[in-house]
Amino acid sequence: MISHLYAHIPFCPKVCPYCSFYKEASDRNKTQAFLDAMLKESELHAGRLRPVTIFFGGGTPTALSTPQLQYLIGGLRQRIDFSAVEEFTIEMNPATVSLEKAAALRALGVNRVSMGVQSWDPGLLETLGRVHSAAQARRSYEILREAGFDNVNLDLMFGIPGQTLAQWRESLIQTIALQPDHISAYCLTYEEDTEYFVRMTRGEYRPDETLDAGLFEVTMELLGAAGFEQYEISNYARSGRECRHNLAYWLGSDYLGLGPSAFSTLQNERWKNVSDTSEFIRRIASGEGAADFREALDADTRKVEQIAFALRTNRGVPTSLLPTDKAAQLVAGGLLREESGRSYLTQRGKMLADAVAEDVI
Amino acid sequence: MSIARTRNFCIIAHIDHGKTTLSDRLLEFTGTIQKREAQEQLLDAMDLERERGITIKAHPIAMKYKAADGETYRLNLSDTPGHVDFSYEVSRSLAACEGALLIIDAAQGVEAQTVANVHLAEKQGLKLIPVINKIDLPNADIDTALKQLEDILAIPAEEAILASAKAGIGIEEILEAVVARIPFPSGKAESRLRALTFDSSFDTYRGVVIYTRVVDGTIKAGDPVKLMFTNRAYEVKEVGIFRPQLPKFLVQDQLQAGDIGYVIANIKSSVEVKVGDTLTNSRLPAESPLPGFQEVQPMVFSGIYPINTADFEGLKAAMGKLQLNDAAFHFMPESSVALGFGFRCGFLGLLHMEIILERLRREFDMDIIATYPSVIYEILKTNGALLKVDNPEQLPDMSVVEEIREPIVKCFIMIPNEYISPMMQLIMEKRGEVKHTESLDTKRVMLTTELPLNEILVDFVDKMKSLTRGYGSMDYEQAGYRAGPLVKLDMLVNGERVDAFSSIVHRDKAEARGRALATKLKEVIPTQLYQVAIQAAIGGKIVARESVSALRKNVIAKCYGGDITRKRKLLEKQKEGKKRMKAIGQVNIPQEAFIEVLKTN
Ligand SMILES: Nc1nc2c(ncn2[C@@H]2O[C@H](COP(=O)(O)OP(=O)(O)OP(=O)(O)O)[C@@H](O)[C@H]2O)c(=O)[nH]1
Ligand SMILES: C[S@@+](CC[C@H](N)C(=O)[O-])C[C@H]1O[C@@H](n2cnc3c(N)ncnc32)[C@H](O)[C@@H]1O
Ligand code: SF4
Ligand SMILES: [Mg+2]
Repeated sequence: MISHLYAHIPFCPKVCPYCSFYKEASDRNKTQAFLDAMLKESELHAGRLRPVTIFFGGGTPTALSTPQLQYLIGGLRQRIDFSAVEEFTIEMNPATVSLEKAAALRALGVNRVSMGVQSWDPGLLETLGRVHSAAQARRSYEILREAGFDNVNLDLMFGIPGQTLAQWRESLIQTIALQPDHISAYCLTYEEDTEYFVRMTRGEYRPDETLDAGLFEVTMELLGAAGFEQYEISNYARSGRECRHNLAYWLGSDYLGLGPSAFSTLQNERWKNVSDTSEFIRRIASGEGAADFREALDADTRKVEQIAFALRTNRGVPTSLLPTDKAAQLVAGGLLREESGRSYLTQRGKMLADAVAEDVI
Repeated sequence: MSIARTRNFCIIAHIDHGKTTLSDRLLEFTGTIQKREAQEQLLDAMDLERERGITIKAHPIAMKYKAADGETYRLNLSDTPGHVDFSYEVSRSLAACEGALLIIDAAQGVEAQTVANVHLAEKQGLKLIPVINKIDLPNADIDTALKQLEDILAIPAEEAILASAKAGIGIEEILEAVVARIPFPSGKAESRLRALTFDSSFDTYRGVVIYTRVVDGTIKAGDPVKLMFTNRAYEVKEVGIFRPQLPKFLVQDQLQAGDIGYVIANIKSSVEVKVGDTLTNSRLPAESPLPGFQEVQPMVFSGIYPINTADFEGLKAAMGKLQLNDAAFHFMPESSVALGFGFRCGFLGLLHMEIILERLRREFDMDIIATYPSVIYEILKTNGALLKVDNPEQLPDMSVVEEIREPIVKCFIMIPNEYISPMMQLIMEKRGEVKHTESLDTKRVMLTTELPLNEILVDFVDKMKSLTRGYGSMDYEQAGYRAGPLVKLDMLVNGERVDAFSSIVHRDKAEARGRALATKLKEVIPTQLYQVAIQAAIGGKIVARESVSALRKNVIAKCYGGDITRKRKLLEKQKEGKKRMKAIGQVNIPQEAFIEVLKTN
């Protein structure tokens, strides 16, 4: 039985210039066909699905209207056994939140919300090309609480072009003051197929590794002091509020992904659905598989993944999985910490997690 | 073709005077290649030759020429390299010939390598045909070139042919002169076989291809033959002549006295064939072998190591194949604390070394690094023993060293008068002495100087060229040893001595060089997980230090389910990249570091 279900909703109110997730600006004509394709795809796997966690991501799932969300989630409930669900997350853009929609989602069983605030600074929101203001984000957060969501994550980004250490500190303090249950703080990545990347290659944006490192340090420091546990490189939670769905990815569990561009991993197989909504709809309707990438995962590959990803979490990895000499070097160099048979990244190790992972795989 | 109608000649000159371009014209004129299919400098077939615009290997080619006398002649031409490092190629080609075209660039006049090559050719008793080339150039100075021919080389100016390889002027006159002036080979087809191995190459399917000049007798497929030096016997599978384009080997029924061609005899291993060996018939062997060649002694040494220890055997095989085609290249196994197992290699000069490294990388796809080049030092120990050391690592403890002697070269430098004073300064900087100054004509002088070989290895020629605006040229020969205040300079990475970077240098230059090296290494060693300390040390005393600060941040922020494949591939790719670096202790040093260090002076 597969315990983790992901659904990808590839629509956004407006496409952000830094983002490389598969999405398109919402298109009313396609939406119904898309929802039907999602339901049909879920039927293909219904027999082996008994989700404990569900994650609606994107894109922006709440770019769908309340009736569309009801149609989709209601439809899934009819096809899949929802009886074991413990965590059901939906991603939101602050511009797509209303009390009515929030209440409807709660009624549909959604019990966790992840909202993309990114920054509380009006200038930086502008730089990011976000459709919402800081005030709107604050209001949306209040609405979620009013609607009764007691498990809310806020996404923040640092390393935004022009962002100073002081601005970032301020954003963190404001976020902490709202008392969310979970905070994801992502360092901006210049993804290849984005406008930001083009600007970087043109020299308009210059990533500053030293500044980013400083911003990351402040993040760990402030959120730690505010009682958030850094349970993964970019994720901080109050006790008991870790995102179980994401942890499942990082700790190497199987998961099924529905929708365009979604990945699935089942035992020794991984596939990815085509990253094109119309093509996804067409394939599902005609009974073809939606996958356009597949790979077999042998034991070695899974082991490599397990080390690389678990190392990013506060679960660490069994030291026995690491090459002895390398591990010793990393411990001596202050990048790894060893405790009763498991190895964990130190604070400096977290800043260099990729280099450490590469060193030990 | 009868022996009376065979002519064997090579083309010799200073570098860039137009040998290869003239070869193109000769090949075209004789119809050996079609003009339209010709690409420029056709004989420079190696990528490296084409890229650098220089000839590295001598290229023999067979042509047919119908002369003015109505007879058809077999002309065997051999284009040769002009650079000093490859003069061994020239002398082996000369040994297969009776004459040579001596090319002189009309704008440059006689240069150092012109003189050196003329001496080589005269020593072997070859008939020289002087050709003043590039007369099409606006700055061609034919009169001066002719005068230099007489004054410097003692060759009568009337013998010179005026030509332009580029414009195709004088080509027929050159061919007629080859026929008329160069004597035909003197051997006898009826005598017992004696054929000189002057080069060889390796064919994956057919084994060793021997390049030979048949001096006496005949050779054909099916003949039982043996190499007289190794005394190994073979059966000839095929003989033939050389063509400029594919197929490069053209089968013939037989080769006879006077011919230049190839022999394939199922020889599987490259080590069995020694250049200079004599091939004879094993049933009717010749009484004595041909004189062969004086072994060339490498002057420059460097350790070549595979980046991945597993490539050791592959590297050895690659070097064996290169050596077959390049008799001047020497190698033998050695090991290094920092670099593992590799080879100590000997070269004729730095260009030769660069070319070998490049060929190993390109033709054999080897990831390799080379240690800083060294010359052979003589170490006189306090107990009176004399030690030869071609690797700074073998230098004994200084407490038992009485003196270190370095090789000196006699260097002949030809320059226009106006550059005498900056040239003198360069020679001083390089610890040299001018022994003799001689006016060649009203415009030029020849400085006979003595310099430590070590000092002219890396950048002397470049500096000389640039301060004489390209008009200076030089040639050198070994001239014994001299004691000097030499010290060993070591480079330490995180406290570990990296023997690849060690060198023996003059005491007064050691510190500056140490600093320059440390700065260079700081530039080329990438930031990594840990801080890297770089130090230069002379006899245990640190004289310079630099550090590469550790990576600050290297972590992708977001990893959702789908990213896992992408992320893993990224890590694996980076890991692959590291494999192309040499790990010394905890530090990964890229190949470029070893190359850059070579260039630092
Ligand atoms: N103007 C002019 N240029 C020429 C002539 N002959 C050769 N060159 C040029 O001189 C340069 C060197 O010619 P090469 O034929 O490569 O000279 P080389 O003597 O074979 O050089 P190495 O093999 O490196 O010693 C090239 O750029 C040629 O195009 C000529 O007759 N006239
Ligand atoms: C699918 S979005 C979340 C919901 C919604 N679409 C939104 O943007 O508000 C996932 C999150 O990834 C982060 N993100 C997107 N592109 C990023 C990038 N190039 N670098 C770092 N973080 C990025 C943002 O924090 C964003 O909120
Ligand atoms: S950041 Fe969110 S809203 Fe912006 S384009 Fe990406 S998925 Fe859409
Ligand atoms: Mg040439």
